Amino acid sequence: MDRRKFLKSTGLASSALMVPAFLKAFSAPSIGGSRSGKKLVIVQLSGGNDGLNTIIPHRNDLYFKLRPTLALKQNEILKVDDELGFNKALAPLRSLYDEGLMSVINSVGYPNPDRSHFRSMDIWHTASNSNEYLSTGWLGRYLDSNCDACDTSYHALEVDDSLSLAMKGTKNAGFAMSNPRQLQRTAKNKFLRTIGSHAPHHEEENIAYLYKTMIDTQASANYLYQQSKVHKSKVKYPQNSFAKDLKQIAELITADTDTKIYYVSMSGFDTHVYQRSKQDRLLKNYAEAMAAFVKDLKSNGLLDDTLIMTFSEFGRRVKQNASGGTDHGTANNVFLMGGKLKQKGFFNAAPKLSKLDQGDLIYEIDFRRIYASILEDWLQTDANAILGRKFDKLLL
Amino acid sequence: MEKSKNIQHLYWRAGFGLNAEEWNVKQGLSVARCVNLLFAEAKEASQVAANTPWEAGHRKRAKKLSKAKKQKIRARQQELLKTENFNWIAKMAAPDSSALLEKMTLFWHGHFACVFKYGSTAINQLNTIRTHALGNFKDLVLAIAKDPAMIKFLNNQQNKKRSPNENFARELLELFTIGRGNYQEKDIKEAARAFTGWHIDQDGKYYFREKHHDFGEKQFMGQTGNFDGEAIIDIVLQQKATAQFICSKIYRYFVNDIPDEKRIKTLANAFYESNYDIEKLMRTIFTSKWFYFKSNRGTKIKSPIELLVGIMRSLKVEFKEPRTVLFIQKALGQILLKPPNVAGWAGGKNWIDNSTLMLRLNMVTYLMMATEVDFKVKEEFEASMRNKRMDKIKATIDLAPIVDTFAKLPEDQVFAALGKYLLPIEVTALKNQILPFTEVGTTPKSRIQLLTMWLMSLPEYQLC
Repeated sequence: MDRRKFLKSTGLASSALMVPAFLKAFSAPSIGGSRSGKKLVIVQLSGGNDGLNTIIPHRNDLYFKLRPTLALKQNEILKVDDELGFNKALAPLRSLYDEGLMSVINSVGYPNPDRSHFRSMDIWHTASNSNEYLSTGWLGRYLDSNCDACDTSYHALEVDDSLSLAMKGTKNAGFAMSNPRQLQRTAKNKFLRTIGSHAPHHEEENIAYLYKTMIDTQASANYLYQQSKVHKSKVKYPQNSFAKDLKQIAELITADTDTKIYYVSMSGFDTHVYQRSKQDRLLKNYAEAMAAFVKDLKSNGLLDDTLIMTFSEFGRRVKQNASGGTDHGTANNVFLMGGKLKQKGFFNAAPKLSKLDQGDLIYEIDFRRIYASILEDWLQTDANAILGRKFDKLLL
Repeated sequence: MEKSKNIQHLYWRAGFGLNAEEWNVKQGLSVARCVNLLFAEAKEASQVAANTPWEAGHRKRAKKLSKAKKQKIRARQQELLKTENFNWIAKMAAPDSSALLEKMTLFWHGHFACVFKYGSTAINQLNTIRTHALGNFKDLVLAIAKDPAMIKFLNNQQNKKRSPNENFARELLELFTIGRGNYQEKDIKEAARAFTGWHIDQDGKYYFREKHHDFGEKQFMGQTGNFDGEAIIDIVLQQKATAQFICSKIYRYFVNDIPDEKRIKTLANAFYESNYDIEKLMRTIFTSKWFYFKSNRGTKIKSPIELLVGIMRSLKVEFKEPRTVLFIQKALGQILLKPPNVAGWAGGKNWIDNSTLMLRLNMVTYLMMATEVDFKVKEEFEASMRNKRMDKIKATIDLAPIVDTFAKLPEDQVFAALGKYLLPIEVTALKNQILPFTEVGTTPKSRIQLLTMWLMSLPEYQLC
């Protein structure tokens, strides 16, 4: 067979690449879409980050008593006030804190906490009660209620190969992409474009879902690839995949991409054994990457329009275990970063170690109050409709 | 007509599909005969699976070893892990290995999900699973509880009388046996006590360390006694909810993502009555009328491993390097021996995201381009769709069996016949869109090659 003909038939030859991308990728956005639009970035620390060795109650005797070998030494703590300090591995965040670009909310959780990773993560993703099972995520429901006219799914973008439950709604779902260039290439296949534009109608759920995802992706891939090329970051990021993902997000935000919500995760926080070295290394990677990200946005004048929330599915038990680690716990701290925080620094008092429930912290702030505040005050939508009930907002 | 569909369905669910030669042979058999064959082959293969050599000393006196020596062992074990990954995929794809046994092993690997650090522990655990994959569920659970890699992975090595570690006990109840909602937090704590001292020794073998075991009285699921780990497993299996939980998972994996509670309940009752006989359960499923209902055919999204192995079987793909196969698994979102966490792979629609779907749809095109079929496309290939990593794939494919099988037919029947072999859903509606893409083929044979490639690029091929 003639190879040129073959190439042409595949749609992979350069002459075939002039096929214009789906125009609807450029149609007017119904949400976000301008430099003045607010952006939300969610950072997930998977595995249950140990909040007590992240933000340390350095004057609390109970902390040192319950963690005889795991507690940080005084010279490993960057003290912020009389009660709390940062783990030294978080040094880059300390300066963000000093500049008023960071807020720490202590003791965040929910009633009847679940200590299973999967279940607790689902609770955070769906914003459900702990005895309630929902199949849609809070950001997915945001898309459902605010994205009726959206043609494309990249209004919420997860930098990953797979999409989190948080980003899945009933009608709409976010877009998952780890590498825009690779995605654009796979979406060019002329055969698949032809099939996509003649997609047969299917009743069965899975085949319909495959066709819908293929067509959505074909419509969006080129736009996202072009956007990823608009701006190259000048800030130096550390060399790890989490930092690479954040850099990708910063470049897309700077390029004024029509994406309102970004989602990114970092894993490895399930430190049952030999926690110290593991968690310190993770926190260092996290802090360095976040500091670069914030600096990047700031240097482009975009930090005031960006709100970054970091969470983990639960904290860890106060008392260390016998393996130099900690087991699954409950309430934890949540970090907010951005240029327009209303309440900078520590949002509330340190967790109460003297009053535990079966050895675990008792939550003081329901995480859904944070969601409610973000939805109402940042994304300017009706939080009650998305969360299914009323949660008192916080002044964030 | 109906029979060939049923045979295709059976071999996709109980295995990884058929190559063209097998497809020809099986057409002459009844479905019942095929089911018997699958189990007979599995029985033979599971008896062959012997213990593989344990790399002696990789834990022995680990503390006394020099840093350099330890690193060397680690590197060797990492290499072994990659090789085992490669070998397992090759085994799944080999026409002469037992497809059913490997499919069951893959299922249990996802169920008792374990992330391996050492190649030798992975080999041993897989052989343990193969031994019991179609045997008795209690034997399987007990063997897993004593499996060195699992003991390491879920920190049971740190589970001691003085300081119980709940990790294994929690996952045993939540994920491996009875499932959520059927136990209390207190049961986890008591179960953890029962598994104290279930450790591994210096040679990396299971060892009951008496001095770390809690011989005291435990209260577990309403019973009181000086339970050890095995007693805990017995009590858990006395609960019908365990049979229900396992049957529900098996139904969703082998039959349909959407559970049919009535059928599952019937299966669970029989599974419980049979004292957890896995082979009996699977036979019941594969011989049930409802298994072959249209509503259960072509509804499952292939896992990346099923997709890859299926392609390898149909196109007789042979990869030259383990790293290529690893790269493909990574890109598609499922790496054998490296599940994302102890819950295994979520499966179903979770396999499909924007990037992974596009890669899956392009997979056969990439393979055909990277290998040398009739057309040598590589040298002058400058199209920007080219994927650098995919371009480096070193593999061979052999389309002769497909071409030989389907070139015998009049050309106007090829589309339907090849579609029936490759796809679980008819694509007649797309015929007019697909055929023009085969027209660059100048001979009937090259048109069959191109048609094979395009049919395997359809969303329908992602299903089984």
